[in-house]
Amino acid sequence: MIATTLAYLPFLEPLPGVERIWMLMLLPLALGISVIYKAMKVADLERYWRSVGVMTVQIVLAMTGLAVLLAILVQVVVPMLPAE
Amino acid sequence: MNEPPANTTRTTINTGAAVLAWVVPGAGYVMLGDRRRGVLAGGGVLGLFLLGMLIGGVDVVDRAEDTLWFVAQAGAGPVAWVADFANAELVKAGRVGEMIAVPTGDPRVPTYPAVSSLKGVARPNELGTLYCAMAGLMNVAVILDVLGRRPGGRA
Repeated sequence: MIATTLAYLPFLEPLPGVERIWMLMLLPLALGISVIYKAMKVADLERYWRSVGVMTVQIVLAMTGLAVLLAILVQVVVPMLPAE
Repeated sequence: MNEPPANTTRTTINTGAAVLAWVVPGAGYVMLGDRRRGVLAGGGVLGLFLLGMLIGGVDVVDRAEDTLWFVAQAGAGPVAWVADFANAELVKAGRVGEMIAVPTGDPRVPTYPAVSSLKGVARPNELGTLYCAMAGLMNVAVILDVLGRRPGGRA
């Protein structure tokens, strides 16, 4: 791991260790989307960062909820269906 | 005699600011006099794009192999072409890393064309591609907002 990190060339090769934490990569993506969207939509920029935080949490919760629903569907509901 | 009625709202189309918003993300708002909004939107677009390239390497922007993804990424402006050029000239041409011959398993075709040892695969490549595509698509939304926004005010 240390040798891999020392040999790492930023922007030329993939970030080491992303494979293990790929689900957490939803957080910066949700934050980035919220930063851009709220820059367009918020009329009063004094409340900008609060609305960015709220939207980021909303995206993460919605994606987590969808993942739980899909997991229940695949792991619980589908195996209960008759084979034919 | 030819004056419009007093209650008619005039549609604003900021073509120049929209073009500028594509060339430099966020600059469209600055041109309309909203500097802080421009810095926030532009910083968000470029931040997402650079984070995508940091996660997956410059190979996440590939006009030749991932054309449909590139259409979305191109919304972020000329930075997408610069990244594609860097990918083609540095990684795919073998100037960094090494080129690896890929066996086919078919005796009639001994190897596929060599690929770079820095070619992105699996999750980091998927995530990086998605980040850059989201940056491009969000900048298209910013461009459309700039196109219809009144200078110094709301759309």
